[in-house]
Amino acid sequence: MGRKLKYIFFISIAVSILVGFFIPSEHVHFWWEKIPAFDAIFGFLGCIVIVLGSKALGHHGIQKDEDYYD
Amino acid sequence: MIDIVPPAFIFILGAILLPLLRERRLRQIFQLLIPLIALIDLLYMPKGTYWVYNFLGYDLILGRVDKLSMCFGYVFVIVAFVGMVYALHVREVGQHTAAFLYIGSALGVVFAGDIFTLYVFWEIMAISSVFLIWYQRDKAALDAGFRYIMVHIFGGCALLAGIIIHVSNTGSTNFGFIEYGGLASQLILLGFIINAAVPPFHAWLSDAYPEATVTGSVFLTAFTTKSTVYVLLRTFPGVEILVWLGAIMAVYGVAYAVLENDIRRLLAYHIISQVGYMVAGVGLGTEMSMNGSTAHAFCHILYKALLFMGAGAVIYVTGRRKLTELQGRNLYKKMPIALSLYMIGAFSISAVPLFNGFISKTMVIAASAELDRPIIYLLLHLASIGTFLHTGLKLPYGIWFGRVPKGETIEEEETEATEPPLNMLIAMGMAAFLCILTGVYPKILYNILPYSVHFHPYTLNHVVGMMQLLLLTAAAFWLYIDKLGGEPKISVDTDWFYRKPGVLLLWFVSNPMQDLRLRLQSFFTKMVANVASLSKNPILLPEITVRYFYLKIISRLYQASDTYKDKADELKELESRLDAVKEMRYDENIYRRPIGLGVLIAIILLFLYGLIYFIRLR
Repeated sequence: MGRKLKYIFFISIAVSILVGFFIPSEHVHFWWEKIPAFDAIFGFLGCIVIVLGSKALGHHGIQKDEDYYD
Repeated sequence: MIDIVPPAFIFILGAILLPLLRERRLRQIFQLLIPLIALIDLLYMPKGTYWVYNFLGYDLILGRVDKLSMCFGYVFVIVAFVGMVYALHVREVGQHTAAFLYIGSALGVVFAGDIFTLYVFWEIMAISSVFLIWYQRDKAALDAGFRYIMVHIFGGCALLAGIIIHVSNTGSTNFGFIEYGGLASQLILLGFIINAAVPPFHAWLSDAYPEATVTGSVFLTAFTTKSTVYVLLRTFPGVEILVWLGAIMAVYGVAYAVLENDIRRLLAYHIISQVGYMVAGVGLGTEMSMNGSTAHAFCHILYKALLFMGAGAVIYVTGRRKLTELQGRNLYKKMPIALSLYMIGAFSISAVPLFNGFISKTMVIAASAELDRPIIYLLLHLASIGTFLHTGLKLPYGIWFGRVPKGETIEEEETEATEPPLNMLIAMGMAAFLCILTGVYPKILYNILPYSVHFHPYTLNHVVGMMQLLLLTAAAFWLYIDKLGGEPKISVDTDWFYRKPGVLLLWFVSNPMQDLRLRLQSFFTKMVANVASLSKNPILLPEITVRYFYLKIISRLYQASDTYKDKADELKELESRLDAVKEMRYDENIYRRPIGLGVLIAIILLFLYGLIYFIRLR
C-alpha cells in the first residue's frame, strides 16, 4: 500500500511537470510564467521556505512553554 | 401568502422562542426549521431597498437587497442550517439561543442599508458570539472570551466614533462607499479590520476560537470575519492599504500555523490567512477581484465550517485537542468517515481542482495578475502552499496517522474512539457535498456574484499549474515530515501586548493604586469629620480659628526658645480651652444677634452679585 502510493505520487509529479511543458501558456502577465514548471519549483521551494522560516522564528522567540501566560 | 420579514428577525425571534420549548424533540425540529424558513424568506425577497423606519430623524433601513447582500445572505443561512444539524445533540438551550442571535445579527449586518442599523447589529454580533465561547465553561474559555469581547468592544468604539464623525461631516447615514482619507474613515476602517482579524489586530481570533465549544466554533468561523469582508466590499473597495494588509495577513496566518500544536488553533490561523485573500481582493477593487472576494467568502464559509466540524468531531470523541496528544492513536482506523469528510474540506481550502477553493481563490490571484501586482501575486501564491501544507497534509497526518516519536510512549485510552454522532457526520456530509458541488459546477456560484464573471477556472494552465504547486508542496512536506510534528509549546502573538501588560496593569492597580486610594480615602474621611464638627456651630468659627492658630504659634515659639517643658501646663490649658470651645453647641438663647446683621449680610451679597453682573455685562 505505502509503496504503491509512493509510485503513484512520483508518477503524478512527473506527469504534471511533463504536461506543463506541452501546454501553451496563455495570459502571461509576469516573466516567470514563461519558465516551464515554475509552479512546481515555486511550490517546492516555497514550502521549504515556509517550514524553515517559521521554525526558525519559532525557535528564536515566538514559541514559549505552554504555561507562559499562567 | 405570508409577508416576508427581515431574515435577521426570523433568527432573533427564534432565539427568543427557543428556550420556551420544553420538549427536546420539538426543540430540535424548531432548530432546523428556523434556518429553512429564513432560506425561503431569502428566496422571496425582491431586489431593492425596503423596511425603512424613521427614527429620530434618521432612516433605519433593514432591507437593502442586491446581488452582493444576497450572496452573503444565502451562504449565511446555509451554514446556519449545517451548523444547527451539527449541534443538534447539544442539550444546552443557551448555546442554540446564542447561535441564533449571532446568526440573526450577522444577517442584519448583511442586509443593513444604513450605517446605524449596521452598527447595532454589529454590536449584537459581538456580544452574542462571546457566549459560544463561554459555554465551554472552563477557565481558558472564560479568559479568552473576556479578551475576545474586550477587543471587540474596542473595535466597536472605534467604529462608532468613526460613524459619528462621518455622519456629522457628511450628514449622510448611507452605508455605502466611503472615501478613504481623514479621521472618520480611518476609525471606521480600524473598527472593520479589527473584526476582520487583520494583523496586528488578529490575535483575538486565534486566541478565542479554539477555546469555544465544539459546536459553537463552527458558527464562529462563519460569521464575524465574513460579514466584515462584506462591509469592506461595501465601504472600502480599492483602498490600497487593504491590498498589502490582505497579502501580509495571508502569509502571516500560514507562518503561525507551522508552529501550532492545538488543532483548532491551527485552523484558526488559516481563517486569518484565507480572509487575507478576501481583504486583498477588496483592496484591488476591480470587478474580478471583488467577485473573487465574494466567491472566496462563500466557499470559505463552507469548507472552514467543514474543517472545524472535522476537528471538533475529533475533540468530541477523544477529548484531546493537541497534535502531541493525538499522535500514535491510529484514528484513521477508528473514524474513517470523519477523516474522508475532513479531507474534502482540506482539499477545498487548498484549492485542489474540482473542490470549491479552486474556483474562488484563483479568481483573487488572477485579479492580482491582471493588475500587474507581482509581489501580491507571489505572496498569495506562497500562502496557498502553506495552506495545503498544513490543513491538507500536516493536520490530517498528525491527527489521524501521527506516529509517536522514538523514545516516547502514549497513555492508554480509557474509551475506544469511534465515529462521532450521526448528526455531526450528516452536517459534515452536507458541507462536503456543497464544497464539491460548487467546485464542479462553479456556474452555480458565479451566477449569484455581484458582477458578471469573465473567468474560467478550469483551463489547462490553471489546473496543471495548481497540481504542480500542490504535488511539489507534498514532496517538500515528505522531506520535512519529522520536523513538522506538533511541539508542546504555544506561540506568542500580538495578544502578548495586552496579556502580559495586562497582568502588570492588574498588579499596578491592586498595589500602588489601591494604596493611594486608601490614603486618599482616609484623608477625605478626616476632612469630612472636621467639617462636620465645625459646622455644628459655625458662629464660633472665628473664635476657634483664632484660638487654633494662637495655640500653634505659641507652641512653636516655645519650642524655638527651649522653654517648651516649662510651659507645658500653659499649653495644655490652651488646648483644653480650644476643645471646650469646639464642643460648645449652638444655642439660640446665647447667640442672639440683631436682625440688622442678617440684613447687612444680604445687602453685601446683593451688592457683590450686582457688581459681578454689571462687569460681565460690559
